Amino acid sequence: MQPDEYQDEPSAMTPLNPSQIKVLRIRIALPAMVATLAAFLLDLGPLRETILPQLAVPGAVLLLGLLAALAYPPRRYRSWGYKESEEEIEIRRGRWFRTRTIVPFGRVQHIDVAQGPIQRPFGLATLILHTAGTHGASVPLPGLLHGEAEAMRDRIRAKIRQDLV
Amino acid sequence: MSDGAPEPRRLHPATLIARWLKVVPQMLAGGIGIAAAARDQGAGRFLLFALVMLVLGGVFALVYWWRFRYTVGASEIVIEKGLLQRQRRVIPFDRVQDIAIEQRLLARLFGTAKVRIETGGAAKDEGNLDMIALADAHALRDHVRRGTRPAQAAADEAEAPEAAAEEPVLFEMDLPRLLFSGLFGFSLIFLAVISGLVQQLDQFGFVEWDDLFTEERADAAANMVSFRLVFGLAALVIMLGVIAGIVRTVTRDFGFKLTRSEAGFRRRRGLVTLSEVVIPLRRTQVAVVESGLVSRMLGWHRLSFQTLGADRKEGGVQVAAPFARMEELLPILAEAGFPAPPPACEFRSSPRRALIRRLAPWLLLAGALTAGAFLFDLRAGIGALLAALLALGAALRWRLHAHAEDGRAVYVTEGLLTRRLRIMPYEKTQLISVSRGPLQRRLRLATLLVDSAGASATRPFHMVDLDTRDADAKADRLYRAFLSARALSRSGPRHA
Repeated sequence: MQPDEYQDEPSAMTPLNPSQIKVLRIRIALPAMVATLAAFLLDLGPLRETILPQLAVPGAVLLLGLLAALAYPPRRYRSWGYKESEEEIEIRRGRWFRTRTIVPFGRVQHIDVAQGPIQRPFGLATLILHTAGTHGASVPLPGLLHGEAEAMRDRIRAKIRQDLV
Repeated sequence: MSDGAPEPRRLHPATLIARWLKVVPQMLAGGIGIAAAARDQGAGRFLLFALVMLVLGGVFALVYWWRFRYTVGASEIVIEKGLLQRQRRVIPFDRVQDIAIEQRLLARLFGTAKVRIETGGAAKDEGNLDMIALADAHALRDHVRRGTRPAQAAADEAEAPEAAAEEPVLFEMDLPRLLFSGLFGFSLIFLAVISGLVQQLDQFGFVEWDDLFTEERADAAANMVSFRLVFGLAALVIMLGVIAGIVRTVTRDFGFKLTRSEAGFRRRRGLVTLSEVVIPLRRTQVAVVESGLVSRMLGWHRLSFQTLGADRKEGGVQVAAPFARMEELLPILAEAGFPAPPPACEFRSSPRRALIRRLAPWLLLAGALTAGAFLFDLRAGIGALLAALLALGAALRWRLHAHAEDGRAVYVTEGLLTRRLRIMPYEKTQLISVSRGPLQRRLRLATLLVDSAGASATRPFHMVDLDTRDADAKADRLYRAFLSARALSRSGPRHA
């Protein structure tokens, strides 16, 4: 991997809550299980017509899913980070397409704290910042403790100045 | 204006006719399919059906008009409509960003206008008054503007609806220039219209293509095809394209006049449909100067402004001068508070290695096709040539994509045939992001995006393939410039 200042200053960024790794694992594991089940059903029927040995396809799908659920989430988790300052928040994300986003608080239109069904058992939530822009119309920051996300929302809300110019 | 309790008002009675004319064709279009299916049943049934549609259309129009009420209050407008599902919408004046007045042909006959109240929200028809008397429309707009800024009320009181005539003119087009600009509006849209029409006919079963196009006829037609015919046809298509362009330009931009109004720019234009739009200056975000290949060589440009919550039909972009010399555009830019673009030598393009990223896919394709031409089929060579041409285009795009910054704004140029220069003052920034794809990371490149309100989704304001270090430094610099520009505008005179 090429050295890249993108990773040079990880200490400056706040990492997400480590439970986010588990959330990501489940997010991969669930569709992987569905795919395995589908492959298993196929294996009972159409795949018997081919020369593929029994259980080879569902086994392969399951193995791939497991590998992905084990290897991918920690990397993805490490690619995320944020830095909350006086006037703005900086969010870094992505492994393949790495993005560093600066959102000035003065430009935030409104803020959501969202909690999905997988996040809930881990007490995690996603903070979503909405701006009037087009490409950065909504900037999500997942993997925050619900209480922390709400505290952040309140902090940012206090700084929002309601003018659009 | 209304003193005391405001009274609910109805739309202009001419609305009845306009609605009726609008509803009936829609209903007939739907009915034609049914009629076509029941063709054998004779013309009597068709006529009866048409009559029912005409009457029903009238009833619908009447109900719409009868149930539509609007109330102009001191600080808000309330619109109520709907028969069974009643809808009541309250639009506070301080949320109103723009009031557009449009007069279609019918509206002009009756001296009425359609008023569109824009609030910058997501809903499309936020507040449409279709139609009210023209004088009412002007009065409403002036009233709303006063409501938005109470302090200005006294100054506005003097402004009669006709005051527009005395506003300083920033840009105007005479007929010769309008016709000339139409030459560059070359459009093949009529081909789409014809093919759409043919499809409609086909769908409703009025024409049986299978009967019309038999193999014998196809053979006979094939024998008639000659070079002369093809060239003649091509010439005809081009001629029609030019005429269509002129017609479209003239109907749209006839009597184009941009004046300086109190809140911003007032733009009036149109031949059949007269439209009057106010571009509020504090809502303008990015200025765009663009020109096509030929018009650029002749020194003609188009100036438009990306505005917040603007007319959605035009994608949030309002034209301020459709066909003008650069020296005519600069005063308009200055009046709008935008800095003039720096000289070309100030612009910098991406590092040379960005060419690799732009060229790689096309060169790979060209290589593969060349190999294919030698190994399998010589015709693959044509594809290879095409890919090489596209590579050349990509290289030119790289050269033409440049950026500059000065004390007030960021400037970005781009485009191969239609070249576009965009000016974005720092204080309009909504968000800044730096992103790197896999190949960009290998090449130490990054794309810097500066988002603004109402920005185009397909043409982001970005600088592609900067050196990764430059991109980060520039992002920080632009952000600091944004902060200080905002601090400056905050300490200055405030509105609202």
